[in-house]
Amino acid sequence: MNRLTTPSARTPPPSAGTPPASARTPPASPQTPGASLKAPPRAQPAAIDVHQHIWPPQLVQALRERREPPRLRGWTLELAGEPAQSIDPALHDPEQRAAQNAADGIGLALVSLSSPLGIELLEPGAAAEPLAAWREGALRLGEGFLPWASASLRAPDPDALERDLAGGFVGLQLPACALLTTGDWRQASPLLEALERSGRPLFIHPGPAPASCASQPAWWPALVDYVAQMHAAYFAWRAHGRPAHPRLRVLFALLAGLAPLHGERVAARGPAGERGVVDPAVFLECSSYGTRAIDATVRVLGIDQIVLGSDRPYAAAPEPRLGEAAHAAIRHANPIRLLGSEVIERCMTKTASAKAANALSGATFQSVT
Amino acid sequence: MPELWQDQLAFSDSERHFVSLRRDDHIDVWLICWTPANDTGWHDHDVSCGAVAVVEGRLRESAPRIGGQPAERVVGAGQSIHFGADHIHRLCGDAPRSVSIHAYSPPLWRMGQYSIDEHGVMHRISVSYAEELRPLEAPVAA
Repeated sequence: MNRLTTPSARTPPPSAGTPPASARTPPASPQTPGASLKAPPRAQPAAIDVHQHIWPPQLVQALRERREPPRLRGWTLELAGEPAQSIDPALHDPEQRAAQNAADGIGLALVSLSSPLGIELLEPGAAAEPLAAWREGALRLGEGFLPWASASLRAPDPDALERDLAGGFVGLQLPACALLTTGDWRQASPLLEALERSGRPLFIHPGPAPASCASQPAWWPALVDYVAQMHAAYFAWRAHGRPAHPRLRVLFALLAGLAPLHGERVAARGPAGERGVVDPAVFLECSSYGTRAIDATVRVLGIDQIVLGSDRPYAAAPEPRLGEAAHAAIRHANPIRLLGSEVIERCMTKTASAKAANALSGATFQSVT
Repeated sequence: MPELWQDQLAFSDSERHFVSLRRDDHIDVWLICWTPANDTGWHDHDVSCGAVAVVEGRLRESAPRIGGQPAERVVGAGQSIHFGADHIHRLCGDAPRSVSIHAYSPPLWRMGQYSIDEHGVMHRISVSYAEELRPLEAPVAA
């Protein structure tokens, strides 16, 4: 057997302007003649899943105390735009989630308030209690979790956000449906400026489905409304967000509704002179997609912008099957570039995840398989 | 414009150092640093055309020739090569601290890696561009 080449396992090259090499995995060991072309199984670094949801008891209680949607009646969730749905409490148990994550090789899960609840869009008085409940419960989830902050968009409070970021929240999640017009971006700008000052990322996640979706099948919001929201928010970001916030790192949920695949249409019908230059500070998580959609997005944006998102408990972590280097980039190196290893370590020291900080920080990295 | 890449040079015998300088809908541009130990192995660029400009040191390019020795050319500083999507080649560093700028259009997406089995039959596998190309063994006459 006389093999000429073999793929080696490494993360992709860093983009210009990003820290070089520090997040790379070492190259594969030389193989003996006759070895398969496929790289040998190797211990993978612990993955970072940037998109999970979990409801701490404090939030469950706050939702139960509400008289109108969004609310919980027992474990039945009532939303204005979706059919009532029964929630399995076990899905929001941190210990069970941690075990699932460990089984998937996920060493750190970033969790957020479910934006489709629409808490951020409630009147300030109504939003205060569930937001406070999230703030209190999210920092106590235990090892292996770090939370995204949530904030009222009706009464943005950048000082409160900065306190959250200093207290262990990694960044801010906002609903896509509230980031579409110039007015939307102006309304959110105090929060986005606070993120820029703090060097923290924005996570744009689908917001509540409109009431018109309530008569549709249960899967309709996930297939239609959420995707459309992300598509619109991606182009709204390009039109209004990036010009106003040149330093902001942004994460789009669900591959931004595949909006980046519209590059040819942008060239034909978009702004004059648009060449589709990849923005190295924009990342897309790949929840509920698989090899075809992820590979198509990689073809447009390159591998460096794609990060692991599972959307657990609503879906499981995807396996892109794009090779070992892409696997390592999506699950580990790219999330670290999105978040910043210092931010991860700082947040972990503020939460119960301190022990995991050592396992996830660059050089002292520990393998989980 | 050397100021775009001069502060990003690094050299390693065990892995090529490369940095993405630009990627848009039409082209991607890479900085690659080489030592004489660095070798891509035989590969193609799937649907992309490419160009390589050597800015420091030297690279050696080989193209496989059925039943004969590979066709080789050495590319020195200030020289460049270009090729279509039908081109199969391997690149090696030919001098310490060699530096090249690579451009591909459309931007690299997938690549083909080649091997030859014990019967002399050539095989191709498709890999993500994220994989660092490298040979398993010393160069083999095709």
